[in-house]
Amino acid sequence: MATDTHADTASYFEDASGLRSEEMILNMGPQHPSTSGVLRLVLTLDGETVIQCTPVIGYLHRGMEKIFENRPYIHGARYIDNADYLNPMINETAYVGAIEAIMGIEPPRRAQYIRLLVSEMARIASHLVAIGTYGLDLGAFTPILWCFRDREGLMDLFESLSGHRFTHNYMRPGGVVHDFPRGWMQQCEAWLDRFEKVSIPELHELLTGNEIFDARTQGVGYIDPQQGVSFGVTGPNLRASGVVFDLRVTRPYGAYREIAVRPQVRQEGDCFARYMVRMQEMAESVRLCRLALEKMPGGSISQRVPLALRPPRGEAYYAVETGRGELGIYMISDGSEYPWRAKIRSPSFTNLQILPELLRGNKIGDVIAILGSIDIDLGDVDR
Amino acid sequence: MNDVVQIIIHFVVTFLFSLIFVMAVATIMVYWERKLMALMQDRVGPLHYGPQGTLQTIFDVVKLMFKEDVRPGKTDFVVFRLAPMVFFAPVITAFVVLPFSPYLTAGALATGLIYYVALSSIDVIGVFMAGWGSNNKYALIGGLRSAAQMISYELPLVLSIVPVVMLTSVLTPACSGPSPDLNVCGVGSISFTQIIAAQMRPEAPWLWFILLQPLGLLIYYTCGLAETNRSPFDLPEAESELVAGYLTEYSGLRWAMFFLGEYGNMAIVSAVATALFLGGWSGPGAAVGFWIGLFGSFWGQVVFNIICVFWFVFKMGALLTVFVWVRATLPRLRADQLMRFAWLFLIPLTLVNILLTGALLLLPMGDVARIAIAAVANWLLMFIFIFTFRRVTGVNPLGRLPGWLRGRTPTARANRPATAEAKAKGVLAETHR
Repeated sequence: MATDTHADTASYFEDASGLRSEEMILNMGPQHPSTSGVLRLVLTLDGETVIQCTPVIGYLHRGMEKIFENRPYIHGARYIDNADYLNPMINETAYVGAIEAIMGIEPPRRAQYIRLLVSEMARIASHLVAIGTYGLDLGAFTPILWCFRDREGLMDLFESLSGHRFTHNYMRPGGVVHDFPRGWMQQCEAWLDRFEKVSIPELHELLTGNEIFDARTQGVGYIDPQQGVSFGVTGPNLRASGVVFDLRVTRPYGAYREIAVRPQVRQEGDCFARYMVRMQEMAESVRLCRLALEKMPGGSISQRVPLALRPPRGEAYYAVETGRGELGIYMISDGSEYPWRAKIRSPSFTNLQILPELLRGNKIGDVIAILGSIDIDLGDVDR
Repeated sequence: MNDVVQIIIHFVVTFLFSLIFVMAVATIMVYWERKLMALMQDRVGPLHYGPQGTLQTIFDVVKLMFKEDVRPGKTDFVVFRLAPMVFFAPVITAFVVLPFSPYLTAGALATGLIYYVALSSIDVIGVFMAGWGSNNKYALIGGLRSAAQMISYELPLVLSIVPVVMLTSVLTPACSGPSPDLNVCGVGSISFTQIIAAQMRPEAPWLWFILLQPLGLLIYYTCGLAETNRSPFDLPEAESELVAGYLTEYSGLRWAMFFLGEYGNMAIVSAVATALFLGGWSGPGAAVGFWIGLFGSFWGQVVFNIICVFWFVFKMGALLTVFVWVRATLPRLRADQLMRFAWLFLIPLTLVNILLTGALLLLPMGDVARIAIAAVANWLLMFIFIFTFRRVTGVNPLGRLPGWLRGRTPTARANRPATAEAKAKGVLAETHR
């Protein structure tokens, strides 16, 4: 992915009748309403048709990996919340999972179930944002507000669980910090019931059956399965192309070894399929949350792990399935209090690479439709 | 002399009324839109200024008036300055012919409909000037889009009115009968007053043209959405694609003029739809004889006109509410889909409607039979319209493409080669990685 824009001189064409036309270079972003944050797309346009697209990233780079190297292990669990700020719980799971893998410890069963529960809730929250903003990208104003209304319930649950709405700081190597407050499980059940009975059908009514929405999304931005795999696309984007790749199924971790996930796969591979996979995954996540609440084992929520961690020398790669795909933490420990290296393999960064291929030959309107359907998160891209 | 003075007073009163009405309708409409959309979206909307936030829009307007007039460098200064005026002036001017009540119509232009159509097509020039003069690529694309869109939708908009004019040739008192008065009506009337009069004839006071021409109203309203750049046809100012389209570089009062003009346009589209299809000022209590009998000549007229204005504004408000409702519900079409819809679907449909209505009105039967047959045909046509719409966008509601599209769409679009020019230039040779 080029990060410089050498093609800033437009060139002239002459068609058969001698009419001169000119390519236009359009800088879309970094301040643009629908580039999911601070993505900048340098589009070469012929009329409204995209000839070439160069994503320029790095406007939200915070040097996260370097920061990890200069902080004790335990601090990173808080900081990685900000990497993919739409599903912080899953990020933390990946981070502490990598530490646990190096140390060779296994959190208690209850902690693993709690992790599964909050991960699935975070997945719902992430997909809600994805679908809501996707509606907004296509010009539908209402879905985003309904989605955020529902997401607010999740944020409240997370707040009463961890003390923070957004950057939860909930996971610890060896388990989780707090057990459920009193009545929390009932509240969670109530939210899940309402979400499943009211919100999902509402969203389906508003978007899925809408002719304009269908016309905008179907057949647009097709990702070939092989193309997707070779670009390293993961998550709902790949599953929408018919590839069954879901880390919860193919390489289960934590409590996913006990609770079976039904991977949501569609064959169409277009924007509509990616949207539908997210909708189906929300329903699936509700089912998993229910199962986790039902089977929630008793016992301790955390192993006894010293606060000043000194994992032994070694390295580990621990990957989890976030709402966007495979999030892997590759961590190398040199035996000191600080990680020697903590590399984030972020799903959005990899998914973004396929964007220029998808955009070429499409109209400007479809640029937004495709970009929104890939659902990148610039915090995750730039880290 | 006395007549001239009276005419001048009449004109000034109605003109001021129109001007104030544009402003009032825009401010009230903005508030109503925000509040109604908030209701639909589980929010509260404006709340803090005035009871229930009613003064919010007034505060907004005042804020806009005091804002600094920012003008980006290298704009085409004259065009940039002129654009909001070119956009806003026709709105006020078109308001003058709207028939709010029998008294409140300035001069009652006999060519009211043509006048309105002519003025409504000036707007596109303002939008295009704004797009061109702003020296901004988003604005340029927005301006081009809106020029294409407004011109395309102008045609079905005007064509959808034609059957109404045809109906007046049968229904207007001066036109019907064995020897029509050609000085007044010709082949039908294009005067708003005459059209409304045709919908409230003494023997059939509730014969609104929506009963006879539902398809006409549907097409007119759809094109009205496109004409005023409202969702789902708000491509020229598509926020998620073009930032703000042709409005990108405008701020302060110039922006406010575009904004008010847009809402004024919505009001005009609704008002014209009211006059043409919903019976104008007719409604319960709008009977002049009754009030004159009750209050005498002068006060009877006053009460009658107030009730007329009430019904007119009420119907207009109902149509404006549909604008808001549509905006809260629908996503936006893509530019090519928008064009396809206008040229391949709306225009042929309106032409069929004109032909059919015209032919049926020529049937050698009594007036009632002719009109009834034409109405039935129109209702049938409308249902065909509604049920074929799903096929036009190429999708059915179950989320699957119809068979004739499924074969080619996804893979054909997938790795579409770049355009011929790009190939010639060798753009593809440079990879993106």
